[in-house]
Amino acid sequence: MNDMRIAERDVDSMESKITARKVQVFYGQNHALKDVDVDILDKTVTAFIGPSGCGKSTFLRCLNRMNDTIDGCSVKGSIKLDSEDIYDPKVDPVQLRAKVGMVFQKPNPFPKSIYDNVAYGPKIHGLTRNKAELDEVVETSLRKAALWNEAKDRLQSPGTGLSGGQQQRLCIARAIATSPEVLLMDEPCSALDPIATAQVEELIDELRSQFSVVIVTHSMQQAARVSQRTAFFHLGNLVEYGETGQIFTNPKDPRTESYITGRIG
Amino acid sequence: MSVSLISLIVVILAVAGFILARRRALAHSGGDARKLHSLPQYHGMTGVLFTVVPAFLVMILWLLVQPIVFENRITAMIPEATAADDATRTLVMADVRRLAAGLDQAVSQGKLREADIEGMRADLTDVRGRLAEVGVALGSNVQQSVFQAAKAYRLIRNTSSLLMTGVVLATAVAGFFYAMSRISVDYRARNVSERFMIGLLALASLVAVLTTFGIVFSLVFETWHFFTLYPPFDFFFGTVWSPRFGGGSTLGILPLIWGTLYVSFIALLVAVPIGLMSAIYLSEYASKRVRTVVKPLIEILAGIPTIVYGLFALITVGPLLRDYFAMPLGLGNSSSSVMTAGLVMGIMVIPFVSSLSDDIINAVPQSMRDGSLAVGATQSETIRKVVLPAALPGVVGAILLAASRAIGETMIVVLGAGAAAKLSLNPFEAMTTITVKIVSQLTGDTEFASAETLVAFALGLSLFVITLCLNVFALYIVRKYREQYE
Ligand SMILES: Nc1ncnc2c1ncn2[C@@H]1O[C@H](COP(=O)(O)OP(=O)(O)OP(=O)(O)O)[C@@H](O)[C@H]1O
Ligand SMILES: [Mg+2]
Repeated sequence: MNDMRIAERDVDSMESKITARKVQVFYGQNHALKDVDVDILDKTVTAFIGPSGCGKSTFLRCLNRMNDTIDGCSVKGSIKLDSEDIYDPKVDPVQLRAKVGMVFQKPNPFPKSIYDNVAYGPKIHGLTRNKAELDEVVETSLRKAALWNEAKDRLQSPGTGLSGGQQQRLCIARAIATSPEVLLMDEPCSALDPIATAQVEELIDELRSQFSVVIVTHSMQQAARVSQRTAFFHLGNLVEYGETGQIFTNPKDPRTESYITGRIG
Repeated sequence: MSVSLISLIVVILAVAGFILARRRALAHSGGDARKLHSLPQYHGMTGVLFTVVPAFLVMILWLLVQPIVFENRITAMIPEATAADDATRTLVMADVRRLAAGLDQAVSQGKLREADIEGMRADLTDVRGRLAEVGVALGSNVQQSVFQAAKAYRLIRNTSSLLMTGVVLATAVAGFFYAMSRISVDYRARNVSERFMIGLLALASLVAVLTTFGIVFSLVFETWHFFTLYPPFDFFFGTVWSPRFGGGSTLGILPLIWGTLYVSFIALLVAVPIGLMSAIYLSEYASKRVRTVVKPLIEILAGIPTIVYGLFALITVGPLLRDYFAMPLGLGNSSSSVMTAGLVMGIMVIPFVSSLSDDIINAVPQSMRDGSLAVGATQSETIRKVVLPAALPGVVGAILLAASRAIGETMIVVLGAGAAAKLSLNPFEAMTTITVKIVSQLTGDTEFASAETLVAFALGLSLFVITLCLNVFALYIVRKYREQYE
């Protein structure tokens, strides 16, 4: 993999934002995640890689308790955000999700106008005091998601009328409009062309200065380009987690090596 | 030959067609079905179809056209019927038919011979007396012209029946041989029977459409008739409804439209919030167990006969509302009221709203909800701001369906709201609706051609137009929003 240029590795902070210990996830009888231990650092991009069905999305959904909406899904173990257990009964999942935003694997814009899609979160949380501020939030979010130029003349037309890639960027804009502390992105670039992909990667790098970002990707190049930490999942196990450069150049586990060199997956 | 006998012969021919066509196809292929383009049973099928379908079509057409031709021929023979209006023509035709049937009976009992009838004249023979002997009673003495018509009627009828038998059987046989002649190894029997099937299906839908048109046409026709007897302006803008059997009625539709809309409005006021909220509860909050129990329970409401609801309105709700609301509030002392009928009708249409809305809300993709929850919205915010707007077109459809149901309801109104047409705002007063008045106008003992009876058709047409408008409106809403959401 010659085109794999590995990004600057200096992590701005070594503080953990999210600490997961012995996380188990069951879908009914199906044991989808087994004993996952991860420390996700603050102000860092963490990439989750692994073959299809290995549990990347499942783990991502644990981090903002989106698994609560799935019937028969149970999560065991502890996941701490800023040293507070997010599965504690005291924690309000609604509050949690305001802090931990998410972009889904499949774009899911609301059947509303582009503007309303982006303004949805800020309106619900009362983040802006007036229309002008809201307009500004919408504009900066759309700009960051690299959609502003395409959408600025049609803010009032329905978000569902956009192309698949545009819809995905709209969902990114929607997620960052509430300024979450952690942003979970499930294959955000799978429907994007190379230019939009580059823009989103730029955005991810930019977001790193304020948030921590967790990104699931099937593109090894992308993981290498944007992330500082990489976790490799296989069959529900976290096989290897470490500094991205080390994972790609000098993997410890033979499974990791065969995956990144294209032998399993 | 009678129709059933002809049908039987055609069917037997068809069965033979199936067996022979199948055998012939197999014979052509030398016993190896794989060489055929279509399987042997498809060849058999073409045998059946070519024999049966054209023959039956001819027969149906014949039976439909026959009475019209007869009537034209016969009425032309009777001087007083040709010039007169529809009603006398129908009467005369009935006489002719009865007389012809009497003659048939006399012949079959051996009291008369065909040759005798030929020479008989009504002004010379006592036809009435002769027929009375065989047990056919006629209302009055037979006129010569009618008698001649009856004779002619028998003649055409017999020829027509003979001709029909010939033509239908000939068609069947021709179809049979045509089917046989076409069979070969390469014959696309499968495609041919497929096309026949498409034709039959299309014909079935055509029948449904034509029936609808027929209903509307007859409504329009009778309404037109009504408007020649009663001024349309007075009908559409009259505020008084007081039919008097025997003439001099005032037939203004406004009080009835008012009553209809008022009752339906109250019904929707009950049904929409309750139905919608229970739909939301069932689809968004209730556990699977609760859902599987509660949903069918609500749907039972739709299965209760409306007369039972009517009884409930009459015996329980009406007196209750009168004693605890109307009387203390000084709003009247009638136990039948718009409120009673509206409330009960509202309960009746709850399942229409809830069941449909529930299905529609369930059809909103989970990813929509996930998207909303993931930005930190609560469940009820998600429902209000994302799920309901997305489900709106369907919900509107459900509500309008409930509305059409309420507008067309009769039994609950009769027992709950009474039968007095009134224009009033007081919901505790008795009023009535269009459907109730249609029933009472048609069950009265007046002649059919009077304005008092014909008004029922005008009312029916108005009702039809109102519900049609509602449906068109619903379609419009659904279309308009669906484009946006999918
Ligand atoms: N809603 C669900 N109900 C039941 N089982 C599920 C559900 N979602 C995922 N699973 C199971 O959990 C396992 C992990 O799925 P997950 O979606 O996390 O995979 P993934 O790593 O994201 O794969 P991909 O790269 O294809 O998106 C799979 O075996 C899958 O069948
Ligand atoms: Mg996934």
